[in-house]
Amino acid sequence: MMASSYSAKEEDGHHSGPAGLGAATRTRKPDNTAFKQQRLPAWQPILTAGTVLPAFFIIGLIFIPIGIGLYVTSNNINEFEIDYTGTDMSSPCFNCSQNFSWNSTTPCKCVLSFYLDQPFESNVFMYYGLSNFYQNHRRYVKSRDDSQLNGDERSLKEPSKECEPYRTNENKPIAPCGAIANSMFNDTLDLFYINPSGSKTQIPLNKKGIAWSTDKRVKFRNPGGSNPNLTAVFKDTAKPVNWHKPVYELDSEADNNGFINEDFIVWMRTAALPTFRKLYRIIQKNNNMTPTLPRGNYSLEVTYNYPVRSFEGRKRVILSTISWMGGKNPFLGIAYMTVGSICFFLGVVLLFIHHKYGNRNNSSDIAS
Amino acid sequence: MANSKKERGVKWEVRANDRYFHQSCRRKSFLCFRWGRYADNVVRSYKYTPLTFLPLNLYEQFQRAANLFFLLIVILQCVPIIATIPWYSTMLPLLFVLLVRGCKDLATDLGRRRSDGQINRRPCDILTPEGFKTVKWKDVRVGDILQVHKDQVIPADLLLLCSTEPHSLCYVETADIDGETNLKFRQALSVTHTELNGDSVKQNLATFNGIVWGEEPNGNLHSFKGELHWKGERHHLDTDHLLLRGTVLRNTDKAYGLAIYTGSDSKILQNCGKLKLKNTQVEILLNKTVLVILLFMITTAILLAVGAGLFEQRVSPQYDVVSVLQRDSSPAYLGFLTFWGYIILLSPSMPMSLYITFEVIHMMHCLLIGWDVEMYWEDNNSPAQARTTTLNEELGQVGHLLSDKTGTLTQNRLLFRQCFIAGHIYGDMSKELKPLDLSWNRFSCGGLKFSDQRLVDKLRERSSPECQEFFTALALCHTVMSEWRDGLPHYQAASPDEEALVCAARELGWVFLSRTRETLTLSEMGLTRNYQLLALLDFTSKRRRMSVLVRDPGGQLKLYCKGADIVVLERLQRDGPLQESTERALELFAQGCLRTLCVAVRSVPEALWTEWSRTLSQVGTSTGDQETALEEIYDQMEKDLTLLGVTAIEDRLQEGVPETIATLRRAGLKVWVLTGDKTETAVNVGYACKLMDPDTTLIQGEELRQLLESPSPEVKSKEPEVWITSRKAVKSKAALVISGPELAELTREPEWGAKFVALSDQCQSVLCCRVTPAQKAEVVEMVRKYSTSITMAIGDGANDVNMIKTAHIGVGLCGVEGSQAVQNADFALAQFSFLRRLLLVHGHWSYYRICILLRYFLYKTTAFALVHIWYSFYNGFSAQPMYESWFISLYTTLYTSLPIQCMGFFEQDVSDKSCLCWPEIYSIGQKKQLFNPLVLAITLLYSVYTSIILFFIPMGILQYFALDYQTLAVTIQTSVVLTMTVEVILHTKFWTKYSVAAVVFSLVAFFLSTLALHSARLFTASPKDYFFLGASPNAYSTPEIWLTICVT
Repeated sequence: MMASSYSAKEEDGHHSGPAGLGAATRTRKPDNTAFKQQRLPAWQPILTAGTVLPAFFIIGLIFIPIGIGLYVTSNNINEFEIDYTGTDMSSPCFNCSQNFSWNSTTPCKCVLSFYLDQPFESNVFMYYGLSNFYQNHRRYVKSRDDSQLNGDERSLKEPSKECEPYRTNENKPIAPCGAIANSMFNDTLDLFYINPSGSKTQIPLNKKGIAWSTDKRVKFRNPGGSNPNLTAVFKDTAKPVNWHKPVYELDSEADNNGFINEDFIVWMRTAALPTFRKLYRIIQKNNNMTPTLPRGNYSLEVTYNYPVRSFEGRKRVILSTISWMGGKNPFLGIAYMTVGSICFFLGVVLLFIHHKYGNRNNSSDIAS
Repeated sequence: MANSKKERGVKWEVRANDRYFHQSCRRKSFLCFRWGRYADNVVRSYKYTPLTFLPLNLYEQFQRAANLFFLLIVILQCVPIIATIPWYSTMLPLLFVLLVRGCKDLATDLGRRRSDGQINRRPCDILTPEGFKTVKWKDVRVGDILQVHKDQVIPADLLLLCSTEPHSLCYVETADIDGETNLKFRQALSVTHTELNGDSVKQNLATFNGIVWGEEPNGNLHSFKGELHWKGERHHLDTDHLLLRGTVLRNTDKAYGLAIYTGSDSKILQNCGKLKLKNTQVEILLNKTVLVILLFMITTAILLAVGAGLFEQRVSPQYDVVSVLQRDSSPAYLGFLTFWGYIILLSPSMPMSLYITFEVIHMMHCLLIGWDVEMYWEDNNSPAQARTTTLNEELGQVGHLLSDKTGTLTQNRLLFRQCFIAGHIYGDMSKELKPLDLSWNRFSCGGLKFSDQRLVDKLRERSSPECQEFFTALALCHTVMSEWRDGLPHYQAASPDEEALVCAARELGWVFLSRTRETLTLSEMGLTRNYQLLALLDFTSKRRRMSVLVRDPGGQLKLYCKGADIVVLERLQRDGPLQESTERALELFAQGCLRTLCVAVRSVPEALWTEWSRTLSQVGTSTGDQETALEEIYDQMEKDLTLLGVTAIEDRLQEGVPETIATLRRAGLKVWVLTGDKTETAVNVGYACKLMDPDTTLIQGEELRQLLESPSPEVKSKEPEVWITSRKAVKSKAALVISGPELAELTREPEWGAKFVALSDQCQSVLCCRVTPAQKAEVVEMVRKYSTSITMAIGDGANDVNMIKTAHIGVGLCGVEGSQAVQNADFALAQFSFLRRLLLVHGHWSYYRICILLRYFLYKTTAFALVHIWYSFYNGFSAQPMYESWFISLYTTLYTSLPIQCMGFFEQDVSDKSCLCWPEIYSIGQKKQLFNPLVLAITLLYSVYTSIILFFIPMGILQYFALDYQTLAVTIQTSVVLTMTVEVILHTKFWTKYSVAAVVFSLVAFFLSTLALHSARLFTASPKDYFFLGASPNAYSTPEIWLTICVT
């Protein structure tokens, strides 16, 4: 017959096809490892009334004291604020605010007097505050040249395009260029204590240490390295159009002049919100016996340069002491207390529900 | 001449032994351009070459809308006037996404290249002037003459010239092409057979110089038209002369062939279709959500732009510090610019990296399915396989499971258990069998689960001609191939029933020894007899029967027919004697869950045969619709039959099927069984596999029709009386049983279909009997159309392919019936019972993980981006970003991606054991409880709420300080990252070491990179140097508040 005998030659053949069954002798059994079998050891927290309720109470009990602590601390902080914009006819600065624009040359001075009914015991921080000033507007924020401010010689001569239209003036590069620098706050504020006798004592205002140390040391640097002669360094540059003095005449001291002038650095650190305050001066406590600012009458002498009336802005001076948590800030404490109480309250409600309907749930808890 | 060839459609010229001729028009390619005619035999399933990888891959990636959108954003950012954030902050995530995706594509492509290489390096023998030489597959060219050995895979489409078998027959197995495991024979032209065969085959072949004209390459596997011009004669060629690439030569020592189509021209490669990508419902909803976010973003941007315009008009003019900067532009123009600025600024709310994370997690889940030891089946060495990597979460949502019966619920290992011959039923269904003594039969191989000494005795005594005729029919009427091993015949059959029947006949003494094209050889009780095979009327699923027409050694013509009972019974001679007992026997067998086949015979007069064969040959040569014509002719032959008997084959249930079905039913799945079997068999299997409880009432036939005909236009709201009365029954316990013809009516009337599906939802299960493969697909289609749930179809054979392709998810069982179902399926399993684990464990986990992931992603990106909106009220709508640009770029990629990724990998809300113990958990996926528009809306609202808190609390606290922009930014950034991490921590219920590591890593990464980015050293180009003491305490106090808000 035609029965062909089976011969085992060239057993090639069958490993084709994706499902090559049969011929594959290699076992395709998967490894029995914890990872592949999804049996990794794991901690499975089960949210039950026993774990959630204490969590609520603990959070509540932690947050409420913190909130109270913060609130009390905040209330202990002395803060005094005075508006010197001069929109009111009665305000001493009314005249200054009326007839003033960027390019007037003669400074306008006005004096405000005020009374502190509580002594300021520790170091006092003196802020100026501006309202309705969009220092966070995108086009405004962009209008600066950081490498120029970092002392780069090339950028000093060739400021970044971002600075337009405050890039060049009369074919000279502006230093510092851009809208931020151009609109720098340039009021001068002096504080006098009026002795009960009537004589005035000027309070020493410390103008150093108001900027961030990283800004002062790293971010802002004068061009020309350690060359003390800033006049020569900034020789071929123009001053910003709104400025009265060039950048190298901002201060008499060499380590606070030019780009590393701290008032300038503080201004260049743009604010997040349209209403903001910036540190102006620090009043150091000089001895332990007397308060930094004793109770009494003070007068604030303002050299009124900065126009805010056009955009209905306000200018303020704020005197404040600080604590470990910063300045006066009732919101933080209130926020903590609110959250803490909500947690506590929810905890109580849940406890109540659990207590009332718990029996029903208990059985299922055990089952699962 | 040339013209006529064109008319006949044969334009493909192949000259044997003429490499030079074909060399001149080899196909070459450069980049995307191809020219030339003949492809070489190299498989190139890879997509990229080193040169084309970059452009092609980028092109493909940018076809995704999200990627394109971000590319546009990057381009927008290059326009300085609207660039709110530097270009790198979008570019980095985009690059990251493109890179990850590209790497994945590259890896899969390399894998393809490797497998291509393996195929291309397979050896084969081609004829050279020096004789046969072993070369690699890739060196085969059109016109080469090849020698193929037994059990070798054929390397190209060959024209069979001759083989070592008589008449140059040769047998091929086409499992890789059409999934059928039976052997098919091919035969060479008699002219090449006679001229080329002989002692000097090599010389003959070397001088062979015929020219083959054939069709242009096409993918039609079952047709070929061509002609061979040789020695001045023209011979007609068809598909019987062709050995297709990918088939395996069997039972034939050597075959010689001429390569006609090689490589990409070959039929199988022409046939490689592209896989249709299925999208899951979750993904569709996700896409819609992304679209909604996009619309929301654009609207917000427009509103903010209007705000900006108003600001420029009302406020700026008085505000010279800013107004100078706008350089005489109109407010409208500025607003327009701001619009684009905000588009850029809000673009991070689009979850770009989500798509890539989604894909990675899908892939991981697929790997996990493949790695599951509990879904590995030792017997055929096959683990579960996820062939489609996008459908995982749908596994957790399946509402309708449509299952094939044979081979899926049952083992498809068929055993001949009973038969009915001439009024007697032989064999019983008892479990313990005392084995028959078959030692008298030298061909017996064992394995017969049949014990009825009476039958054996009758056969041995030759006392019952009916029994002899019956087994002769079984031994003749089939398409089985025999193969001899150790002196025993082994059978290879297309279908397991055939094998079971032929084996049973063998065991009982009617041994099928071998076949050629024209003869069949049997050994009847040791007596060898030759039957001349005149015609083979083959089996189709439409005809459901097959017949052979033979001339027995006595010279009589006989037609043996074997087929499904209804088809055969209606073709019997009128008023046969045993009609009643036959029907009783059929019923009895059906109750025992046995598959029945009727066997019948007809004596054919010589005259009828000559006439019939003439018409047959006419049809064979005629063009047109051959199939229906053949059917008609076959019909003419298969009539006036005499029933010989009925066979009953047992098909055992697979292990664990009843338990699995019971669990799945508890999980809320509707299990439908679609089978080609008789109603009774199906119902019995239904009871056996717990598809229905013993006290379930069946609704079928008329009753069902009544229900459907009852005028209830709105199924749900107003249910008329018939509906209501039956509903009591329905509610308690009922199952629908419907058969093929009824189903056909049902599918014609769309209204009925809806009602049927609605009705079925209230029933325990549905059985569809007597359905054809096409109807199976129609049923799936119907369920898809009228119910909202996800359908899953499971099957094992080629007849289930339609259904598997139509369903949302197709599962193939790697069973006995070839691999076609698996190749078309999305998931492949070895056992039906693994379905339980696949759905309840893997499906549920995937669904849970992916839903959490998606929600978290949407939450994190929108909450992150919405902060900009709140900030814009304070900066004059100028599109000033709230965050540092580096933060924007690293946020999605570095700071918040790992923990959620880990969660997507490892999260388990309940353990696998609980999933299986309480299948009811599964219903959260069916009801889409974790990801639906409502949940999404809540997520989005929650993210709005989060963003409000994130912005206003730090702002409220910090406004009392000498607050600068950068401090606020750092504070909010820290809060955002901490909030998102806390959110993940709260969602994670399964803490592995990886999850902890991921959380720690991202937080450390955030703080370190923030410090690093703010360090003096990196300060060169932009202001980054501000990490100041003041920022930290505040940054820490706010997230603490946040944490508690999250908890509440």
